[in-house]
Amino acid sequence: MVIIALGFSMAIMISIPAGIVANQEATQSLTENFNNTMSNMQEQINKTATLIECRASSGQSMYPGAPSGRPPSGFGREEVFINETVGDEIRSIEGVKDVVPFLEKSSEETTSETINTPRGSFTISRPLYTITGVCLNSSFIDNYSVLPTNRTAGRNLCEGDSGVLLMSLNLTQYFGVAVGDTVQINGESFTVVGVYNSTGQGRTETRTVYMGLSDAQTITGETGNVSRFDVYADDASDVDGIAEVIQAAYSELSITTYKDRLSQLQTTQEMYDSTLKNAESTLDQTQTTATQEIGVAVVATSLIVLFVMLYTVRERTREIGTFKALGFSNWNVMTQFVLEGILISLMAGVVGIAIGTVAAPALSSLLLPHISLFGSSSQGRFRPVFGSPDSGTTGSQTAIASLNPQLMLLAFGAAVLLGALGSLYPAWRAARIKPAEAMRYE
Amino acid sequence: MSESILKTEKLTKTYAMGKRKIPALSGVDLQVNKGEFIAIMGPSGSGKTTLLNVLGCLDTATSGTMTLNGIDVAKLPEKKLYSIRRNEIGFIFQTFNLFPYLNARENVELPMENTKKSKGERRKRARELLEMVGLSGREEHKPHRLSAGEQQRVAIARALANDPAIVLADEPTGNLDTENKHEIVRLLGRLNINQGTTIVMVTHDDQVASHTERILFLNDGKITREKQGLHLMKKKLICPHCGSRIQPTDVKCSSCRKKL
Repeated sequence: MVIIALGFSMAIMISIPAGIVANQEATQSLTENFNNTMSNMQEQINKTATLIECRASSGQSMYPGAPSGRPPSGFGREEVFINETVGDEIRSIEGVKDVVPFLEKSSEETTSETINTPRGSFTISRPLYTITGVCLNSSFIDNYSVLPTNRTAGRNLCEGDSGVLLMSLNLTQYFGVAVGDTVQINGESFTVVGVYNSTGQGRTETRTVYMGLSDAQTITGETGNVSRFDVYADDASDVDGIAEVIQAAYSELSITTYKDRLSQLQTTQEMYDSTLKNAESTLDQTQTTATQEIGVAVVATSLIVLFVMLYTVRERTREIGTFKALGFSNWNVMTQFVLEGILISLMAGVVGIAIGTVAAPALSSLLLPHISLFGSSSQGRFRPVFGSPDSGTTGSQTAIASLNPQLMLLAFGAAVLLGALGSLYPAWRAARIKPAEAMRYE
Repeated sequence: MSESILKTEKLTKTYAMGKRKIPALSGVDLQVNKGEFIAIMGPSGSGKTTLLNVLGCLDTATSGTMTLNGIDVAKLPEKKLYSIRRNEIGFIFQTFNLFPYLNARENVELPMENTKKSKGERRKRARELLEMVGLSGREEHKPHRLSAGEQQRVAIARALANDPAIVLADEPTGNLDTENKHEIVRLLGRLNINQGTTIVMVTHDDQVASHTERILFLNDGKITREKQGLHLMKKKLICPHCGSRIQPTDVKCSSCRKKL
């Protein structure tokens, strides 16, 4: 009984540090993840200093609270198109080096998904994949990142390709096709010539097929239309001027430049920072709570040992008297009882570790404040502006407390210490018993 | 001339009960010589147990002097008394006070802990002592598997473990039936004759007391009377029953066939 009670308080003592360690690890990996994403984004922005992204838009953002970048593809997106001749007009603006047109349209095929949120789960229907038409001009393909670079099989698209496409890995699984196979896209047959890795940095995946611009226009029924121009300036210093000219001429284009992207990056950075700050303050709070709880557990353990040993000393008064009559010194008696206290709490330590191994996650989640910085934030808002088109930044991570050998060692150390501490006073009492009185005691 | 092993002069002990002071011993003058077998008798409340506790250094006297084996113990602090108890005194209790979780041999070895004897020596000594009290073959038995008389034999063996100058027995037969009672007294008598063990025994049993050589009567904390016991005759190698000659190792008298 006593040992099980002691075992519980020991289990609490070791589960709490386990929980804290788990939380710390989770926060740390979150920080690393953030930092990686940020540096990737910075790199991308630096590489594309001369890029002016012009997207056809209705002039309203679908996401009021979100940075005005590219909304998540295929999810509640309003698809707006613009005549491709606009590209030629932009091309004629002074200082513009190249204009690369893209057509992005959702597939006709849809899929339904169940999304779990803290507020309940709901099912949405979303397009199965995005069709991206790329202007297959070999100088564009060579100089700009117009096609995915992380191919896993087959070849890239090249100038003059028609009736062929590049497909993301997850879609090949969905269609059950490989390089060289034929697949139906919006009712037209295409040959898969290449497959690229669809996994982004987080757990989100892109589902996109890349094909020639004219092929895409034909199968989506958007003949002569595009959804986006990537305008490249001759020099980064001209970018602002060119962006102004384009915006003045075409109000239906939503324009994103290096500066915008940088400010988006800053916004994102700020959000990351505040999330991390939250995480850290939660962690601090957790540690304060944990310290108090460990304190309570330590006091409880010592008190249990204290009372058990006091009881034992009372019960064994005659025995102590006999020990003394046989010539045992006060010191002998005292060490005997301290050792006994240590033995009891060591046994409790074993029980505690047994309980802890099974119940550490439950105990630590019961006793510690929850860290709620993952979940909803990772999906909607925290999306890099570029990089791989659709990658989320963080997977949702759960801090799971588990025991490691160091903690078990710690538990044994604590057992010895608390056993000694709790039995010190009873042992001292035992040592002070006068033998003649002890012998009279019934 | 016989050598004094324990000598007290004007030994007193007063217990404080609140403000009242209750005298338990009021001036005990006692001399025990080496090799004596003495009984202390007296009505309850006469101070028998108090005297034995003081003699055994379990309790300290309020005043008076006490010399044990040449050591003046009356004024020794508790810190030094434990080694006197270990080396100079062997205790036998009415309730045996064996440790139930230790077997007979381990109980006998217990007082030898914290002495210079090695583990092997302790074990050998414990076996010898258990053989001496007639318990060979029972060494590994726990106390609950032994009869009351056997348990008291283990306790006697334990009292002798460190070769004490004096053995103090507090009502050693108080918890035993008649048969075992006589067995234990005869055992103590034999140890006294064969080993020369000095024994002071508190008892209120006349029969038991008569088997010693000197009986002291304690009354109101003082020794009031002294009487000779039958044991003196045995020591002079005369059968106390028929008066014929006996040998020191005899268990029965060869002429009257009675147990010695």
